[in-house]
Amino acid sequence: MKSIDLDDVLRAALRQEVAEAAGGLDDLEERIVFELGERRPRLRVGDWLRQLIAPTRSGRIGQLGLVGATAAICLLVGFFAATHFGLDGAAPRIQRASPLNADGTQEVLFVLPALDANEVAVVGNFNSWEPTTLTDEDEDGIWTASIPLPPGRYEYAFVIDGRWWGQDPLADEYVHSFGEYSSVRYIGGGDGA
Amino acid sequence: MYIGPEEAAGTVYRVQDEVSLLRASLEGETEAWGEMISRYKDAVFGLCLGFLRNRADAEDITHDAFIRAYVNLRRYNLEKRFSTWMFTIAANLCRNRLRYRRNHPVAELPAQIRGGEDPAHVAAADDRHAAVREALNRLPYGYRAPLVLRYYNDLPYRDIAEILAIPEGTVKTRIHRGKAMLKQQMEERDPS
Repeated sequence: MKSIDLDDVLRAALRQEVAEAAGGLDDLEERIVFELGERRPRLRVGDWLRQLIAPTRSGRIGQLGLVGATAAICLLVGFFAATHFGLDGAAPRIQRASPLNADGTQEVLFVLPALDANEVAVVGNFNSWEPTTLTDEDEDGIWTASIPLPPGRYEYAFVIDGRWWGQDPLADEYVHSFGEYSSVRYIGGGDGA
Repeated sequence: MYIGPEEAAGTVYRVQDEVSLLRASLEGETEAWGEMISRYKDAVFGLCLGFLRNRADAEDITHDAFIRAYVNLRRYNLEKRFSTWMFTIAANLCRNRLRYRRNHPVAELPAQIRGGEDPAHVAAADDRHAAVREALNRLPYGYRAPLVLRYYNDLPYRDIAEILAIPEGTVKTRIHRGKAMLKQQMEERDPS
């Protein structure tokens, strides 16, 4: 059999095989759309805040307590970053205080309080939006990861047990796209990553 | 219906429309995702069927691939070709299923590919197609997968390399050797 014949036969055989077997796909769209509709959508920042302040059976006092606890954790994170990285209150940008590596990168600390989380990761344009895991070795609910990055502008978000968390308190700014927030940091005064 | 890369490159309207669908899907409009499924389900199913050589598994993995892609859509870079990303997800799921199968072997797998159709009828209708299918069943996954992506999905070597996470040179080698193995098996089956 000539090579060109084999190419044609292979192509035709695969297409015929799919055509014969594809009957089970007729309503695939409907099934998946229905299934996705039944699923609880991914919790977004706005939804989370609305849930936080909405009255529940446990009462508004409990909710306010939760808000207070969250604020306390944010303060704790700020304190942690300041004591570990020598921040001053006027310019809370931990990446600018981090040491410069020999290859020109800077150790950028990503830190997030998540008391009940099992898994926390950071995704961003510096890791092609593939998760880099944060660790909480002393199990105090503060998750951290240090990533060496060259100067530039970096968009990122945290993923807490699979849920998107785009508003890092330590970010320089936020961007809003596709209905979600992402955080932005400028490393070494860079404006493009 | 899936649009191949060459066709897609010349169909600007269709590509722009696809980006709109993806943006709408990211906003949570599942109907937009349903339209994306309509366009790609044949291509994804063909990939899965070619990789797995089993109709029921291919249907399962096609379903799971579209669910997983939707859940992880935020990770997709809109500047890249959607088909490559989608095929990568499907290929990884197929690999996991094959790994599971290795640990949970099923004796009658090769026969399941034809579904309810009479094998004798298929062979009579086109003996050469049947011979190719049987040869593909026996081909190792490492050679079968590039052949399916090349000859069913019509992908360039570069995209196949990205999807299978192997170097482009390896893709070319495996396609060349895979075809030689197919040819040998077909000749052994039908020496005339």
